[in-house]
Amino acid sequence: MRKIILSGLFIVGALTANSQRKIEFVEYDLPNGIHVILHQERSTPIVAVSVLYHVGSKNENTERTGFAHFFEHLLFEGSANIGRGEYSELVEKNGGMLNANTSQDRTYYYEILPSNQLELGLWLESERMLHAKVDNTGIETQRSVVKEEKRQRVDNQPYGSFFTEMFARLFTVHPYNWAPIGSMEHLDAAQEEDYVNFYKTFYVPANATLSIAGDLDIEQTKKWIDKYFASMPKGQAITLFRDFENLSDADFTARYGVDKSKFDAKDFMKSKSPEAKKLIASLSAKPIDIPRPAKDTEKLTSVKKDVIYDNIQLPAIFMGYKFPPQTNEDSYALDFMNEVLSGGSSSRINKTIVEKKQMATFAFSFNYGLEDAGVGIFAAIASAGNSLDDIQKEFDEQIDLMKKELITQEEFEKIRNKIENDFISSNSSVAGIAENLANNHVYYGTANRVNTELDKYMKVTREDIQRVAQKYLTQDARVILHYLPKEENK
Amino acid sequence: MKKIFLFIGLILPVLGSAQLDRSVRPQPGNAPNINIKDSEVFTTANGITVILSENHKLPKVSFDIFTGSDPRIEGNKAGLSDMAGELILSGTANRSKDQLDNEKDYIGASLGASSTSISMSCLTKHMDKGLELMSDVLLNANFPQSEFDRIKKQNESGLMAAKSDPSAMARNAEVKVNFPNHPFGGVMTEATLGNITRADVESYYRSTFTPKGSYLVIVGDITKEKATEVVNKYFGSWKGGEAYINAAGDGNFNKGNRVIFVKKPGAVQSVVYISFPMKIRTGDNDQLALTVLNGILGGGGFGTRLMQNLREDKAYTYGCYSSTNITENGSWMSMGGNFRNDVTDSAITQMLYELDRITTSLVEDDELSLTKSSMAGSFARSLERPSTVARFAFNIIKNDLPKDYYQTYLKRLEAITKDDILDMSQKYFTAKNCNIVVVGNEEILEKLKVFDADGKIEILDAFGDPAKEMAKADITADQLIEKYILATTNSKSMKEVAKKMKKIKSYSETTELSMAQVPFPLKSTNVWMAPNKEGSKLEGQGMVFQKSYFDGEKGAMTSMQTGKKEMTAEEIAAKKKASGLIPEMNYKTSGMNYELMGIEEQNGVKMYVLKLNDGETETFEYYSTADFMKMKTYSISENDGETVETVVTYSNYKDVNGIKFAHAKNISMGEVGFTGKVTSIEVNGKVDYESFK
Repeated sequence: MRKIILSGLFIVGALTANSQRKIEFVEYDLPNGIHVILHQERSTPIVAVSVLYHVGSKNENTERTGFAHFFEHLLFEGSANIGRGEYSELVEKNGGMLNANTSQDRTYYYEILPSNQLELGLWLESERMLHAKVDNTGIETQRSVVKEEKRQRVDNQPYGSFFTEMFARLFTVHPYNWAPIGSMEHLDAAQEEDYVNFYKTFYVPANATLSIAGDLDIEQTKKWIDKYFASMPKGQAITLFRDFENLSDADFTARYGVDKSKFDAKDFMKSKSPEAKKLIASLSAKPIDIPRPAKDTEKLTSVKKDVIYDNIQLPAIFMGYKFPPQTNEDSYALDFMNEVLSGGSSSRINKTIVEKKQMATFAFSFNYGLEDAGVGIFAAIASAGNSLDDIQKEFDEQIDLMKKELITQEEFEKIRNKIENDFISSNSSVAGIAENLANNHVYYGTANRVNTELDKYMKVTREDIQRVAQKYLTQDARVILHYLPKEENK
Repeated sequence: MKKIFLFIGLILPVLGSAQLDRSVRPQPGNAPNINIKDSEVFTTANGITVILSENHKLPKVSFDIFTGSDPRIEGNKAGLSDMAGELILSGTANRSKDQLDNEKDYIGASLGASSTSISMSCLTKHMDKGLELMSDVLLNANFPQSEFDRIKKQNESGLMAAKSDPSAMARNAEVKVNFPNHPFGGVMTEATLGNITRADVESYYRSTFTPKGSYLVIVGDITKEKATEVVNKYFGSWKGGEAYINAAGDGNFNKGNRVIFVKKPGAVQSVVYISFPMKIRTGDNDQLALTVLNGILGGGGFGTRLMQNLREDKAYTYGCYSSTNITENGSWMSMGGNFRNDVTDSAITQMLYELDRITTSLVEDDELSLTKSSMAGSFARSLERPSTVARFAFNIIKNDLPKDYYQTYLKRLEAITKDDILDMSQKYFTAKNCNIVVVGNEEILEKLKVFDADGKIEILDAFGDPAKEMAKADITADQLIEKYILATTNSKSMKEVAKKMKKIKSYSETTELSMAQVPFPLKSTNVWMAPNKEGSKLEGQGMVFQKSYFDGEKGAMTSMQTGKKEMTAEEIAAKKKASGLIPEMNYKTSGMNYELMGIEEQNGVKMYVLKLNDGETETFEYYSTADFMKMKTYSISENDGETVETVVTYSNYKDVNGIKFAHAKNISMGEVGFTGKVTSIEVNGKVDYESFK
């Protein structure tokens, strides 16, 4: 065991980007497939423990949308060894804080603890990974919490549905079709089987990245990781273990053909009986199949224009373009372009549409980069007396300008400064570093991108920006949504 | 071979037996030490103490100048220092405010200021540009008159809002009673704000921001050599006199409990603060244990004694907290919350009980350890921000603390015992010499007498000054209303009034409202059409935020957030009691309840106070005793379980078509204040009444 870890050890070489300081880290795989990333930063006696599960709304069944996010809520409910409500209490009374979030691509959990509580954090996350436990009260409670969340963030938010409406039209094949918050009817319809299957399929060691940053001793941390994580069953043996804990004797025997009594409850993986040993060995060798959707290849070929009536006072326009996945090299130039258009009050869109022409109360653009595709959105809320068509014309003029002319040298410098500043600030906390390392490993295949990403931005030229504008801001292939007040609100 | 096997056989059980019992929860390791590097300290020729805390983790650097001047007793210019702080970044001899903003944005720097500090942070590579801006501000801030006027106006709306904010009122009373003749006891009022001039601000700035005795805290990616160089380059030419030194006292210690009451007409809840000064200053050996003590009593979270007793057990309140405020210039303890009128006295009894309990018996192990761990956690997390490290370095130097004061924080925290906590409470806390400040409805006053040592309750106003007792009115309510109607219509008799009013068929008024928090002005339109149609609208930036109408029989309100709501039967009934261009004319016949309370003096102006009740809302109207014109209205309404107070002040009355209309209307709602200027009034013009529906 030890040897494997040592040989798997990989210390990243030096690559310095601009004025950015290098983030040193150690990474390795555990035999059961958990990818571990450790970053030591001892200036503050705190440590961030995080686990990224590579599962998001895009992995959901079309009949169970919203499930990944719902699951995130459920996984704070407790485990075989942690009672209901105790999970967060344990963190808080030990001087820490915790949270989680879910996107289309991943679910991310983290704790920030005093560094002498690192082992507690590891234990908590190992409990969540190995044998989380959810009872009916927990399911009902979290269902209403999630519904409240949707009401607050989507339904009660003017224009709150634009995200869902936009993605539904940009992606008719890929599961980016629906938003992570999903459908409440689907959540209501969920059965016990759904919970079991989702956990069984996606909450497994081979789908997890354990990223830890902060005041830690690398060797000691590895020992604890061995203790709590390396000891977890590999492949399909984890399902066997969970069934051993949860199924009745009869059900277990029926499923596996071996009696529960053949297994050692105290040291499951080292069960002595030959039948048990054989089953554990064979299941350990079988990986769990984690279904992932095919990459998005759908091309937008026309302008899709729709009107949506909402509880609003002022009409609004949302335009969506298809951008490449975040891993595509063009993403850097696209981000740059977006800063020119919409980064701050002196940006082009704000200066023209909002301040000079006063056609809109708010107008902005933003890029939404995802694992399988990207989206570029332009949005404006009209000021009274301005038509959405006029605003669109104005947006189109800005887009044309972007395609026709290079941005000015002054804009170029200002955005470079801004990107650099934002980027460096994003690595100012251990929690931020842990998350950046995990994201880069999972999406880009190299955690070390934390050290090279800024270089990529700094290599972007004014010509690159013009080129991506021409390539991706396709005026004959985009989605245009007009939001209008519902009749009774007029 | 055999040997080797044996060897493995011996060692395997040792390795393999590390079988894991996952139900065992890990124990924490030893409380970690903190690696706060020692700071470099050096002094410049012009008298700045530079504290340099190198941290090369990120290529960022921050510079914070703190003056060495002590806070002043501001007397009749209370609020001067706050105003100066707000104005420091408003321009220099070389750069306008806009230029300053633009140049700062270009390098992605942040620049900030307060009444005693100026700060700048940026990427190391933009340090020179950032320091150029910072030093320009420090050396050449020029306080343009236009910005002075703008900030003064902003403060005026702030004060307006403060007058109806019970927590602000309670805070004002609290500092005044604990710290008379002390810098903490200064509270800005309309009068003191009025006394402040641009010259005062400038002179405050020049005498406070002087290099002598000041501190420059540098944190981040910079070497000592470079720091020395830039300090000389950018701050070397900074000149000034001696820092202002004033050793502030410890505050006023009572003999026996004192009850201080601030009247808030119509309040359904009281704000209660129980407080007393403490003889302790920043960095005292007792500070940490005293903070733990506060954490157990009511420092935060649901588990504290105050929360458990007053919220969880008795349900007197949503939250009840305590705080120990330990500063270099004076310290005090305070506890309290918001309580329903009928339990205000019981809540005070319980808080005093908790104060007494914690000074007479040991705390429990559980509550001590919970408080210690949560303090350790938040201390540790706070350290990640370079600003925290800067603050520590600064505190150590300024208060002459041991160099490892913060390094050993967690260990010292861990070592605190139950006996230490009792020692602290007996040394600093008391349930017998408290200032009990209550802001609330006068009806509860009688029940508070038992808490006052001599049974005499002091009444203060919203700014903590002794309230003037209301004098008996010399006329009746009906007489007041009639005098007002005659005055406002410039008439000699009610007959003449009736004649004048008959000629008015419509009225429309437009007011421009400005508000500190909103960058653009809002437009408010109010219309009236004979005999009893009304409409109002609030708009801005092309949006209609809110509109309403009442046609005498029915009406509705449409708001951007909630959509259109028809008036309820109750609202219609209430509205009918106060409708008309001059609603006062109908009070007698509409069924409005009204009562003349007396004469109140505010800021040297005497006003009749008329209390109205339309069945929905209680309103107080204030009329000048000199000319009977309406000066303000004050009303409290309930909306979704929350009480909202609205104060409207009227001034600058001018004649339009022979009738006096106020041309300045300031409105404050809850914590929001608007300054209103009437821009047009039209009588008998055309009104697009439909647009209000």
